[in-house]
Parts: sequence; structure tokens; C-alpha cells
Amino acid sequence: MTSSSSGGVFNPAYHDSETLEVDRRDKRSWTHHTNPYAGEDPAWWAERDDAEPGASSGGWRGGESFSMGLFSTSSGTNSWQHDANPHTPDSSSHYRSAAGLPSLMTGGMTMRWRGMAMRGMSMFPNADPTHAALAEDAIRSEVENEEQNLIKELIALSAGEQTRKIQELPQSFGEKKNIRRQVMAFKSSTNSHHFLCCTDCCRNMSLSFRRCGNGIKSARQTLKLWRGIMKEIGGRFGSSVLTYFLFLKWLLMFNIFSFLVNFGFITIPLLVHDLSANIPSNVSFRGLELLTGAGYFNYTVMYYGGYSNETLHGLVDYNMQLAYFFTIAVYMVLCGIVLIFSMASSFKKNYVLSDPASSRAWQLLCSWDFSLTNERAVRQRKNNLRVQLKESLSERAEKESITLSKELKQVGIHVGSWFLSTCLAVGCGASIFYLCQYGEEQAMDTAPWSLLQEAETLLVPFVVSLMNIVIPLFFSLFNKFERYSTHRRQIYALLIRTSSLTVFPSQCWEPMVGQALYRLVIIDFLFLMLGSFFGEFLSNVIGTKLQPRLGVPEFDVARNVLELVYAQTLAWIGIYFSPLLPAIQMLKFFILFYIKKVSLTRNCQPPRRSGRAAQMQTIFIFLLFFPFFVGALSIVAYTAWSLTPSEQCGPFQGLNNTFSVVSIWIHDLEAIPTSDWVVWIYQNVIRSELFYFLLTLIIIAIIYIFWQLTQGRKELINLLRQRIINEGKDKSFLLEKLQNLQKSQPAVAPSQKKIKVHSGRRSADRSSGSQSNSNAVVQVLLARQQLEEEDRRSASGVSVPSDISTSGALMQAMVARHRAERQTPEEHSSSPSPLEQAMAARQKAQDEYWTVTDADDINSPNRPPVTHARLREEEGQDGSSNPSSPASSVVIQVMQARQRAEEEERIQWAPAPVQNSASPSSSALIQAMLARQQAQNEYDDGY
Amino acid sequence: MGTTASQLGKADLSEYQELTFLTKQEILLAHKRFTELLPKEEKNSTNARVPMTKILTLPELKSNPFKERICLVFSTTNPNDGSFSFDDFLDFLSAFSDSATLEIKSHYAFRIFDFDNDGTLSCGDLEKLVDCLTYESEDSRLTTEEMRQLITNILEESDIDKDGTVNLSEFQHVISRSPDFVSSFKIVL
Repeated sequence: MTSSSSGGVFNPAYHDSETLEVDRRDKRSWTHHTNPYAGEDPAWWAERDDAEPGASSGGWRGGESFSMGLFSTSSGTNSWQHDANPHTPDSSSHYRSAAGLPSLMTGGMTMRWRGMAMRGMSMFPNADPTHAALAEDAIRSEVENEEQNLIKELIALSAGEQTRKIQELPQSFGEKKNIRRQVMAFKSSTNSHHFLCCTDCCRNMSLSFRRCGNGIKSARQTLKLWRGIMKEIGGRFGSSVLTYFLFLKWLLMFNIFSFLVNFGFITIPLLVHDLSANIPSNVSFRGLELLTGAGYFNYTVMYYGGYSNETLHGLVDYNMQLAYFFTIAVYMVLCGIVLIFSMASSFKKNYVLSDPASSRAWQLLCSWDFSLTNERAVRQRKNNLRVQLKESLSERAEKESITLSKELKQVGIHVGSWFLSTCLAVGCGASIFYLCQYGEEQAMDTAPWSLLQEAETLLVPFVVSLMNIVIPLFFSLFNKFERYSTHRRQIYALLIRTSSLTVFPSQCWEPMVGQALYRLVIIDFLFLMLGSFFGEFLSNVIGTKLQPRLGVPEFDVARNVLELVYAQTLAWIGIYFSPLLPAIQMLKFFILFYIKKVSLTRNCQPPRRSGRAAQMQTIFIFLLFFPFFVGALSIVAYTAWSLTPSEQCGPFQGLNNTFSVVSIWIHDLEAIPTSDWVVWIYQNVIRSELFYFLLTLIIIAIIYIFWQLTQGRKELINLLRQRIINEGKDKSFLLEKLQNLQKSQPAVAPSQKKIKVHSGRRSADRSSGSQSNSNAVVQVLLARQQLEEEDRRSASGVSVPSDISTSGALMQAMVARHRAERQTPEEHSSSPSPLEQAMAARQKAQDEYWTVTDADDINSPNRPPVTHARLREEEGQDGSSNPSSPASSVVIQVMQARQRAEEEERIQWAPAPVQNSASPSSSALIQAMLARQQAQNEYDDGY
Repeated sequence: MGTTASQLGKADLSEYQELTFLTKQEILLAHKRFTELLPKEEKNSTNARVPMTKILTLPELKSNPFKERICLVFSTTNPNDGSFSFDDFLDFLSAFSDSATLEIKSHYAFRIFDFDNDGTLSCGDLEKLVDCLTYESEDSRLTTEEMRQLITNILEESDIDKDGTVNLSEFQHVISRSPDFVSSFKIVL
């Protein structure tokens, strides 16, 4: 808090004040709130709750930050004055009224924020040396003080926490190093006192653990697949396209995992037990099997049919039925958990926290993709952003002039496109259903297929994939008219999927389904390839050669993600019927990655609409993913629970349904006395309705509680938001009043040129300007102190507890505000109270500072009127002033006037201590302002 | 790689690991890239600084519109000339790395956007920011009116306390609402 301390240095009252201790103490409490959102400090809540902010504990903080504001203005407004926009004369005046004064107020606040982070990092490059010299000592002592506090805090933490905390300090490397050294030194010094073997051991342990963790992190880094490619894509196309590839990679990992699980627990035991595949002699590998999945593959471990229902006798008995059942079940459950967790976290991050209200600010403040490294991409990005900004500006203007007929038209388009897309989806579903029935009839004869027959089985997946490619085109056509219909694709995809799974009533139906899914997967893959080659490549050719109007295509992240989701759903459904399908899927995704990458870099341009696309995509993916996974899961579960497994092949032959494997197993277990508990669990938990009933009740209760919690939080958020807005309103109101007051005072009170006389340097314009500023503030602070004393006196008179008296101060401020409101009309008639003078003095100091800087820039002709006006003003106030007097005499006058003002002030305070707030309304106004400021600071701290 | 590893002592390396968000590989890579920027005779000195002009030639920074600001913010020289020591360089990479927290990232983003170093994003800063993000050539510039309206819009949305500037907490508030920020505020060597 370099700045805060220096604020104190300039302010003599600061040192005199009794609240100095309080201040110090307070500072400690808020210095290390490095993370405003994690700052759920109970102390803060208590503080917030027990009174209106701005109560006693803040004491001088309002004042302090007020004076701190000087820093920011001395550098801030200055540079603003010099290098701000020459192209907006009108806006500059607007800025001045809007930003000039207010920045004085909040400068302090923000400085507090930067506080320690900025220390030593050339905090005030614009600030003048005199300032720095004056403040240096205090800054140094404060910095040291603070560092000590920080180090103390750090020492109290565990080693891991320490490292993390130090990592998270927003400071330069050297400073972090310094802090760490000190902490380490302290630790070792304390450790040398007690030679506890145990703590030493613990420390070593934790150290080695951390090393190990770091090692794993590094190893993961090296193992990162496609790091270079990812960087290249991110550098050229931005992060929104990159999300597609990250998603693809994630899916690939997912499939590798499922392949390992299935292969390890189902296939390997079988292969170890019996290597020879029992392939009939008349079946040979013909090549077409790779596409159809039928024939030769039918007799391998690829499908359900390839597995036996025996118990494998090896080193240990391995029950194939149970292995098959539990592997699939556990795999599905694991998938569900992984999905739910990743969905929830992404949902939380992307959806709950995002706020549509701040979309425009976001566009500018945090949309720039720093990972872009390609010169062309950067240029394109800039152009896009500019177009987008212009669009949004004009859109905004348009929005205001929207008519009823336009709205009706939009609703009509919306309904129409919705209806059309639904029809399309239903039509697709129906056609596939009939096609499947036809295919079934064909497949009824069980004789070995001819090549042609086998090829016919490809018809269904071919049509399905074709639809997959064509339908999105229609949908994107709808998109041209209407914005939000993309998610309707979900319907048709679901329909296609479910209808393609009509049951085959043959003797060995599971492998048939497996084959059908295999075909779907393969054909889908082919179409994906064709899609990217023809879709993107052709439109690129068309866009560049034939129809330049269309332009180079963009990479459609939404469509591509949907294709991936569809592919993955197929794999999920297929896992029961064909345990090795993930292997195919794995290969598919691996190849797809390279194809998409090549297609992207060759054919596409970066997306024109940058922005929240990436975020929307994640929501989209997971909202979509969830129903898809649940769909797949329910299909598999239905198969396992209700359908009778085929009688001649597969691990479950001869059972009523798949699940009865478990009951048979339990039955067997009953014979073994040591496994009673398993039986008990099965009887009383798995099979008992009561258990599920209770479980459901508990879950519902928990959900209800959480729901209530979120409702409460929402309310709280609304309240807090309202509060912020109110604070803002109050502040702007008070500022306005202040400005009115200043304007209505033609007679300007003396400005404090003492310092200027002392230094006598014309060159130090800035410093003198800001110092006189600070003097004005000192005056204000003095006045405030007086007021507080009054307050205390009045409080003791009525013998009220001190904290009530402070909240009374707030009340007073409120009252004063009301009064100020009432007084505005009669301001012109009211006599200038001393504090108004003080305020005016401040304003004057500022003005003068501005005129001086202006005068440096602008030619001399400007100057005489200004000085003249000023002198005339003074004349208005002081009848005795001499218009021709030089500057130094003005200063003397000024001092005299100030003394007089102070005397007046004292006189006014003395007679009526209790009702004092009545007379100098403007002083109360200032107090009110300070209180506001303080309240805000406090809020900020907490926040 | 082997030579750089030997140049960078083991103790140093572990210290760098503890103080930044970077992994060992990243630090080694950073060291390699950094020494490549140094002139021959300074390659072995520990406190060598790379001038700003050299830093700006890095392909990762070359076309970044905020490259000068980045140099100025992360450089610890006094007076600030934007040159990087290896520590500064690591600081820079750490803030832009994958694993840096939102807190750190938003802090540095704020400082990068705060062109006049006064601790708040004032209208002048915002204007420069818009220029940086959109400026290509003189004719494609936003008009004065557009600029004014844009800035009013931004302030309307993000300036919670209505003081005409965006301060750090307000900035962090906006950023906390935009999940894309963490992924886009990223520079990887």
C-alpha cells in the first residue's frame, strides 16, 4: 500500500488522528485479499452485516483513499490532458465532466487494489520526482511492514500451500524470490531450534511428494499428443476452432481407455485360454468385410458372438459371463460419471458464470486471442472485430426501432422453420425405419451370403450417413432465416439412431446388431472424410475460382462437433454388441484428426464471428452429450434387462436375460459360507425396493436443499447488485451536487499556494498542482475531523455507544444529503459556508493547475483572460483585492482568506455542537461523500 | 537441450519451478529460446538482458498488437526500457501459461491494457485498446462517433460504480464472466 501510506504522509491530520492505529490494523486485514472472489472472509461478512458500510472501523480510510486519489490524478489526468484524443473535441469535454473529477475519487480505490502488487515496479512513471522523494520513506517503511506481514502469513501455511500462494502473487519474479528466501530462512531458523525427527521426516516426505507431482506434470507435458499441431492451429485459427480439436483429442483418449478396459478384461482372457479362432472352413477373408463387418469378422472376438459362456480354467477360474457383464456395466457407469463431472464443471465455468449483460465490454476487454501468432490471422481478426463492433453498434440503434410487424414476422419465421425441421427429422426417421424392415427381410435367410447380398447390407448405413450429410445443409439453410435452430438437429440424430436399431428376430441376433453398428461407424467415417474433402475442398474451390462472392469457407465448429458426438454415440451403443468397437473408433478418430487438420489448413479461413463461440460450443456439446449418452445407456440397459439373449451364441446363451447372470452367481455364492455378506447385500440392497425408495427420497431432499440454496444465493446476488447500483447512484448524485455547488460559487475562495511559494519553481507545474490539490484535501480532511469531533461530543452528550455514534455519522450524512437536496434551489442566495470555500478552493487548485498546463501548451494570448477572470473572481470575494497584484500577493491574500474561512468555521462549530449539521450543509455533504467513498472501498475490499 | 540443462543449475531450476507456473520442460525450453536471443559474448552471463527490439522478434509476439505493452509490463528495469532478463522472461511466460490462475492473468491483462499506468482504464486507455484491436490502416478506422459510442457502451456495462473508468476489480468482474479469457490469454513457446 505504497500509495495509501504516502497519502498519509501528505496529510498531517493523518498522523494526528487517533484512528491511525485502527487504520494500520485494518490495512493488514485487507492487504492480502489477492483473490477477490475467494475472499469469503467471515470477518468481512461480519463487518458488512453489522452496520452500514462506512462505520467506525473504516475510520480514516475514506479520507485516506481520498488523498490517495491525488496520485492517480496527478499522473492520470495529466497524461490524459496531454495525449488524449485530438479527434474528439466534444467528447473531451464530456470526458472531463465524467472522468475528471470522479477519477479523483476512485483513483484511491483502485490504487488500493494495485497496492502491493505494483510496488517497486515503476508505479508512477509519470509522477514527478519531488513527490516520490517525499513519499519514499513512508513507502519504504510501509512496504517493509507489509512484506513482514505477508511473510508471517506464509510461514503459517503448509509447504504446498506456501508454494502455491507464492506462485499466485502478482509480483515480479525477483520479489517472489525474495519473499520465498525470507520464508525459507525463517523456517530453517525455527527448525534448528527443535530437532524433531518427525517434522523433518514430514517435510522431506512432502518435498518428495511435490517433486513427484512436478515430475508427473512434466511427464504429461512431454506425452502431450499433437502439441505442435495444436499450437499451430491455435495460432492460425484462434481458440474457437482449437476447441474442436481438443474435443477430438479428448474423445480419442476416451476411446483408448475403453478399448483398454474391454480388451483387458474380456478379450485377453479369452485369447489366452483359447487362441485358435473357431472359424468355419468355408468362410474366408474377402476384403469387403472391412466395410460390412459381416462374414469373417462374425466368427472373431470382434462381436458378442465370439465369446463363450464357459468358465475359463486357468490359474484361476474366470467366469466369462460375469466378466462380460461387469466390464460393460462398470465401463458404462464410469463413462457416466466422467461425463457428468466434466459437464458439470464446464457448465459451471461457462454457463452459470457467464453474464449476457456484459457482452460488449467483453468483446473488447477480453476477446483478444493472445495465442494468435500468424500475421494474416491477426489482420483478419482485427478486421472481423471491427466489422463486428460496427455491426453491434448499428444493431443497437436498430433494436430501438423495432416494430410489432417485424416482431410478428420473426416469430412466424421461427415457427415455420421449427415446423419444417421437425417434419424433416420425422421423415428421416420413418424412411430409415422402413428401410430397416426391408433389410431385415433380406437378412432372414441364414445361408452364407453372396458378395452382393453382403454389399446390400451397406444400404442402410449408407442412407443414414447420406442423411447425416444432407440434412445439416437444410438446417444451415434455415439458419440463414432464423438464428436458433441448430440444436434441432439433435432430434433427427436421436431418431436415426434409435430407429436403426430395430430388433432382428434371428437366432443369433446380437452379432447382427453389432454388425449394423460397425457398418454405421465405418460408413460414417467414410462420409466424414468425404465431407471434409468435398464439403470444404469444393467450397474452397468454388469460393476462390468460380464464385468469389461466396469466399473461402469457414470451419463450422458446431457441425463438426455434432458429427463427432454422433460417432461416439454409435460406439457407446455398440459396446455391448461388439466389445472391440472402441478400437475401430480409436483408429477412426486418429485418422480423422489429421484429415481435419489438413482440410482446415488448406481450405478454411479463420471464423469471422470470433467470440463466445467457443464457450457456447462447450455448453452445446455437453447439453447434447448428456441426452446422447443417456440414450445409449438406456438402450444398452434395456437390452441387458429385458431382451432374451440369443440361444446359440455369445456369453449369455440360454439365459432369460443378461441380468440373470448376477442372480446365478449369487446363487452359487450362497453355497460358500464366507461370502454371506455379498449375498446379504444382494438380497437386501440391490433387490430391495425399499432401499431404492429411501435413496430416492434422500436424493430428492438433497436436491431440494441445494435448490433452495441456489435460490437464496440468487437473491443475495440481486441484493448486492442493487446495492452496488445504489452506491453508484449516490455517488454520482453527490458528485453532481458538488459540481453544482462549485458552479454556483462565482466567488472562489483562496487557493493554497503556500507550497508553491516555498518551492518557488515554475517548472514543477505538476507537483505544485497536485500538492495544492493535496492541500485542499487536507483542508477537507481537517473539516471532517472537526465534524467527527463534534460527532463524538454529541455522542458522549447523549451517552450512546461509540459504534452507534459512527452509524450516526452516516445518518448525519444522509440527512445532510437531503438537506443539500432541499438547498439546491436556494443555493444562490445562501452564504458561502467555509467548507464550500474549501471545496471551491480545491476546484480552484485543480483549475489553476489545468490552466497552467494549458498555458504551457497553448500560446500566451490565452493566458491573460484566464488570469484576469481569476482575479476578477477574487475581487468578487475580497473587496480589497488589487487587480494588478502579482501572483505572490495573490497567494498571501489567499492565505489570509483561508485563515478567515477557518475562523469562521470554528465560530460556526462552537455555539451549536449538537445541531452543527444544520449550518454547514455542504460540509455534511462532503462528509457524506467521504462516507460513501469509504463504504465503497469497504465493499471493494470485501469483494 | 543437454547443454542448457547444465547451464541452468538444478537449484535454480527447482526454484523457477516453485515460483512460476511452468514445468521443467517449459523452463528449459524458455532458457534455450532466451539464450538464442542473446548476443554471443553474453551467452554465459547470468544477468544478461535482451533489449525490447529483440524480444519483439519472437514469432510468438511478432504480430501481437500488444507486444510493446507486454514488454513494458513485464520488464523490471528502472527506468523502464522494456528489456527482459531471464527472470522477466519467465514471469511473462508464467502469466501466459496454461496453468496460471485467472487472478494472475486478469491482473496482468489489466496492466497491459492500462496504457498510461495510472491504475485504472480510463477513456484514453479504452480508446487505445480499441485502436490496438481494430486499427489496420487509416481508412478503416472507427469514426469518432463510433468510438465514442463504443466506449460509452463499455463503460455502461463494466463501470459498476459509474466513475467513468474501469478499475481492476471491475475489470476482473467482467473477466470472471467470460470463461474464454483463460484460454485466449495464452502464449506458449
